[in-house]
Amino acid sequence: MNVIDFSILDGVSVVIWLVASFGLSKIFKKFNIEGWWAYIPGARIYWLGRCADREQDGKVAMIFEILTYPTLFAIQVLNNDLSFIKYLVLLFIFFDIVCLIYKARICIDLCGDLKVNKNWAWLWVFAEVIPCLVWGFSDKYTPSKALLRYNGLDPILDDFIVRSLADNVNTTESGLAVKIKDRTVRNFLDKRYLLREIFMNIEPGHMVLLLGGSGSGKTTFINAVTGYEKANAEILLDGMNVYDEYDKMKYSIGFVPQLDLIRSNDTVYRTLYDAALLRLPASTSFSEITKRVSAVLEQFGLSSVKGSLVEKLSGGQRKRLSIAMEYISDPYLFVLDEPDSGLDGVIARDLMRRLRSIADEGKIVIVITHTPDRVVDLFDDLIVLAKDSRRTGRLAFYGSIDEAREFFGQDSMEGILRMINQKDEGGEGRSDEFVLKYAERQVENS
Amino acid sequence: MNTENTTNASSGGTSPRSSRFKLMTGNHRGRIAQVPIYLGKNFRMFIFQNDWKVLPMSALIAALIAMVVGQNMYVTMEGQFQCSLALTCICIWNGFFNSVQSVCRERPIIKREHRSGMHISSYVVAHLIYQMFLCAMQALITVGVCKIAGIKFPEKGFITPWFLVDTWITMFLITYASDITSLFISSIVHTTTTAMTVMPFMLIFQLVFSGGAFTLYGPAAELTKLTISKYGLTALCAQGNYNSLKSVTLWNTIFRIRDSSPELKEALWQIEKAGQLENILERSGEAMQEAAYAMTKANIYNCWAHMAAFAAIFAVLSIIVLEFIDNDRR
Repeated sequence: MNVIDFSILDGVSVVIWLVASFGLSKIFKKFNIEGWWAYIPGARIYWLGRCADREQDGKVAMIFEILTYPTLFAIQVLNNDLSFIKYLVLLFIFFDIVCLIYKARICIDLCGDLKVNKNWAWLWVFAEVIPCLVWGFSDKYTPSKALLRYNGLDPILDDFIVRSLADNVNTTESGLAVKIKDRTVRNFLDKRYLLREIFMNIEPGHMVLLLGGSGSGKTTFINAVTGYEKANAEILLDGMNVYDEYDKMKYSIGFVPQLDLIRSNDTVYRTLYDAALLRLPASTSFSEITKRVSAVLEQFGLSSVKGSLVEKLSGGQRKRLSIAMEYISDPYLFVLDEPDSGLDGVIARDLMRRLRSIADEGKIVIVITHTPDRVVDLFDDLIVLAKDSRRTGRLAFYGSIDEAREFFGQDSMEGILRMINQKDEGGEGRSDEFVLKYAERQVENS
Repeated sequence: MNTENTTNASSGGTSPRSSRFKLMTGNHRGRIAQVPIYLGKNFRMFIFQNDWKVLPMSALIAALIAMVVGQNMYVTMEGQFQCSLALTCICIWNGFFNSVQSVCRERPIIKREHRSGMHISSYVVAHLIYQMFLCAMQALITVGVCKIAGIKFPEKGFITPWFLVDTWITMFLITYASDITSLFISSIVHTTTTAMTVMPFMLIFQLVFSGGAFTLYGPAAELTKLTISKYGLTALCAQGNYNSLKSVTLWNTIFRIRDSSPELKEALWQIEKAGQLENILERSGEAMQEAAYAMTKANIYNCWAHMAAFAAIFAVLSIIVLEFIDNDRR
């Protein structure tokens, strides 16, 4: 007994689907996406999600659409077994409804991007062939912003930098040598460049300010430098390759995250003591650990609150505890992600002074901060990361603070930031210009 | 500190400050040595984060159950079954609530510590030990409250010499298996809100597919093999020698309709007068026997082994899932 009429598989449906795909391929081209993706079931809804800036929805819709295919196949194969098929039909309906909901969300946003009435979304969901053809072939419907994807080398930036910079920047034996060729992520069906061509040498005893707008790759850069997320790079710390020796070297690299990730219902002393147990070698005696914990408590001004629960600490004390947890192992490279966020000017400056004193011990301290001007005099060097026109993080400057002021023609750090930020972020959108200018300067100096 | 200068003198003296790179040598604390660190943290959380509150909560729930359905436990089949199901449910409830938030609430902290050298297996093992302590205490409290509330437990145990110890072991295993199941859920989800959304579904699944609350057929019946509640209920019924108890359902039903027929009323009176009531109840019980609840050591060991296996499997899965914590989005 054939209980299901598989009309979806008949010739008319296939023809309609192909025509819709043809229209969709034209829409994809408008968004800077290869048109052939429109003919790949499942993948096409993902890319549609990317077009509508709803990538996550695109992923979910793709997964559920793909799930409908084996379910449909099983229904076809087992269509004589009525007792089992009803469960499969229910499953198919569930997958299809989820897919439709996500598709509707994507299409509503797509309507906004193509500046058409959002009621078109319903037509798209139930008869996609019409909007596919109309939007695909009519020049009237153009996206407000094409998808920024990396398609080969940039004729100006990459060609020059790739050929000349990587070979010309030498690494020093002391301090931190960074040679990042690129850092990519494969995100579902797309490959993205997060960072490209970042080369620098940071000397021991230097405190470095890491400046960059939102999405410029600051945290990615830090993760690559500390070895936490490996890039296509060579990172040398006093000549030792961080990536090759990461398991040993990670205890000599301290990273303080932006948020105070500490258990709030534990005492300050125990928090620091446990951090010491984790980070110091097992052969360290308990008396040495106790001595080290007491010294660090004293250094960070936490001795008076060592018996208090972490939740009772002020914002500044909690931040200092978070830093102390990393500092307990006496790291050589110390990286801090916005240690002064949420702190007032006086407390923030006090914190930065403590970091300065750590750098003065011969360590390398790299700090990300969004309020640089109030503490900039405490820093030796400045790293400026900029998001280029393809949204890839690039090095726009590395050097002393005074050189940076001269290079950008700005007195304040915020002024520098404003120049390199994209226009849609309130900046002047001159990042490409400075990336190229700095690359030329590096080649000249090498 | 046991650190050692390795390489490497600053070359050229380009900086006024000299290089002072100390690479830590020597092994850091391994998996076993890290367990006490996290065990200590967990026990401090027990005091400071009010985890201790689960103990009086379990006493309160046990008291309610004992008052409502406890009096007929170990007396009639119906009482035994109802009370066993209720006790199984509260053990599962206790276990789920113990740890459903324990990992996800500190997920970013775990990620940070993993980056600093924490071993996930040490972290999970510390939780396993700590949760074992919590579950053991809760099972002890539940058994104790039931005893105090007047449930008449048999004296002699079937597996151990003491019946209360047998019952405690079963309740502990139900609670612990549930606890580790929810530890696994807590390891998968990223927020406490999601954890608390998932938990009711897990509870309903355990209740519906326990095989006790509803009669299940076909594939649904097979699903009972995946529930802790099935093995917990079976173990408690088997330990209480369910099949040897009398059943009152038949008698109570007939008694309720006695006024519908004078002959029926007379027949019931005659049975009572002849002292045949107990015999009827016992015969009724024999007819209601369930092979699954047979009081055999093999049956009870089988249930215990399944619950222990649930705990072991979900513990391993928790470790595997948390090993990928570095992939969490920033």
